[in-house]
Amino acid sequence: MALPIPLTFLIDLLTLFGIFAIISMSLNLEFGYTGIPNFGKMLAVAGGAFFVGAVPGRVIAYLFNIPAELDFIKNNLEVVSSLNQVLTSEPVISTCYLLASLVGAAFAGAVLGYVASYPGIRLRGDYLAMTLLAMAEVLKIIGDNWEPFIGGSLGVRIPDPFRWVGGEHRPLYVALTILGVTAVIFVYLELISRSPLGRTLRAVRDDELSARVYGKDVNRLRMKTLVVGCAIAAIGGALYSFLTASVSARDFNRVTHTFWPWVMVIVGGASNNLGALVGAGMFVTLRKLVTFYKSYFETIVPFDVIWLEYMLLGLALILVLLYRSEGFIPEKPTKTLKRNYIVNKVLSRIKTKEGT
Amino acid sequence: MSLLLVRDAIIFSSLMIMLSAGLTLTYMTTKVPNFAHGEFATLNIYLNLALVRLLNINPYLGTIPAFMLGGAVALVLYLAVLKPLMNRGANYVILMIATIAYDMILISLINIFADYLNRIHKLITRLFQLKGFDIEIFGQPGLFIIAPVLAFIMITSLYLFLNKTKFGIAMRAAIENPSLAEVVGININLMYAASWFISGGLAGVAGALMPLYMTCNPDIGIRLLISIFAASILGGLSNMYGALIGGAIIGFAEVLGTGYLSTALGPWVVPYRPVIPLIIMMLTLLLAPKGLAGIDWKRFMKKVG
Repeated sequence: MALPIPLTFLIDLLTLFGIFAIISMSLNLEFGYTGIPNFGKMLAVAGGAFFVGAVPGRVIAYLFNIPAELDFIKNNLEVVSSLNQVLTSEPVISTCYLLASLVGAAFAGAVLGYVASYPGIRLRGDYLAMTLLAMAEVLKIIGDNWEPFIGGSLGVRIPDPFRWVGGEHRPLYVALTILGVTAVIFVYLELISRSPLGRTLRAVRDDELSARVYGKDVNRLRMKTLVVGCAIAAIGGALYSFLTASVSARDFNRVTHTFWPWVMVIVGGASNNLGALVGAGMFVTLRKLVTFYKSYFETIVPFDVIWLEYMLLGLALILVLLYRSEGFIPEKPTKTLKRNYIVNKVLSRIKTKEGT
Repeated sequence: MSLLLVRDAIIFSSLMIMLSAGLTLTYMTTKVPNFAHGEFATLNIYLNLALVRLLNINPYLGTIPAFMLGGAVALVLYLAVLKPLMNRGANYVILMIATIAYDMILISLINIFADYLNRIHKLITRLFQLKGFDIEIFGQPGLFIIAPVLAFIMITSLYLFLNKTKFGIAMRAAIENPSLAEVVGININLMYAASWFISGGLAGVAGALMPLYMTCNPDIGIRLLISIFAASILGGLSNMYGALIGGAIIGFAEVLGTGYLSTALGPWVVPYRPVIPLIIMMLTLLLAPKGLAGIDWKRFMKKVG
């Protein structure tokens, strides 16, 4: 049974929303809460996707006894189609493959975050921003040129963990999986932001010196935040690869995977997980509408309409920075205990003292 | 073979010196790394392409409008974006994001211009060169002579301007101690605007010469930016002379490194060229975060010698 068209449109929208929500929430943890200017967001996203393109497929091919003379990259189509045939009847193994890949991608992202932040973490954030940007670009160049890694400029197809669902319902299952992961990450980040750790991170952002005075190891906190942020972003990249069942370095560039998340976080409202979600939602919806009406403009201007979109996004970001820098949903004050609760606590303590 | 490499390295170093000097100048004034600096150059690659191919202008004459356009674009960034943000008390992270947003606007303008030249005027605007339009001096491509000379002239005039003219001295005062300079009656705003104009102008000249040297594409700005950042960080980010040495070192390291490695290992190493500035950048941050200008050379020589 085919799904009705508005529903496929909605599923498509939610899938993209989930992926960008994950990426923008990770950026929000780094920039919004801790104040780290991660201008190499693409590094972790591409890192997660590259990991999924390079490692799990090879492991599965080995486990399922694909003949060794079939190379995963050179005979990519044959290997992947025979793996897909096996996976069609194996929902449990497929799911394990998916989860293990996500965990592996998160680990790869964490390692990348650690390596990239190591040289610049002790210096002012602008040095870090420059190194992260350069690292991200270099990773893309490696992915684009080193063929044995993820097939170079042609990219690589990966075994599809949603094969057992059946063709028509695949988009729905992918969307549900991605939204599920998004929800888990949202809850995790929300818990972090309400915990003492979340308040410490804000202290690092707002007043590094005070945080130091109270014995917080600022550099270590920054590095840990980047490692966690990169791990989360890598999960986003890995999910994107499973959505398309392929990995290509060409899919990642600094506009789509660094600049767009920044727009989402700033427009939605920094240091506010809900803001990151709202930003991602608004952005994805607007982009869908733009793609919808693109063909209309295409005929009247002598250039690719996509550039107009870039320009408008750049302008919009500058305007938001100038006139509404707190974003759509402003940062809320840190949650504290209720006044009555504190008063009652104090009163009961006094009473017990008087009793003794 | 290696002589050709050295020639290439000298040309590229000259371009890098102009670019990293500009970036360092704006970093010193506004204390923010300008992520749109690569695009200041790329925009003028396309300006010069249009001038040379459509109006048949000598590519070297194109550096003059390129200086103006580069300067104007940088001035707009400072006056329309950064200054209002600074007035609102934005910190350096917000300023960096603003330069990235401006970068995106420039990228879109560059691509629109490239598409326009391609579709209306039938010019090749993706992966093109203008080497055929270079002049010959003593049997060598003119760029080999003119790029270093131009870099030398621009840097010397910048030096003379900063050290010998009243305006330049006021500008240095504004850079080194803004509040004190303001007390003495120096118009800081004018000084900062001037430094942005010069920075963009230098990038514009480098951009105009770029297609005479290498294959250009609208997305070349990011590749340049990695090298520019590496050169400026190596130079110490807040020292003009450091930027000059940094630019020269990065230029030579990239060209000679890629050249020697590709003869030793094979031509497959060529696309990995940006790895060289990245490694230099990381080593600088690890070993001497303040760059060459921050090293105490007397103590260093005593320790070594």
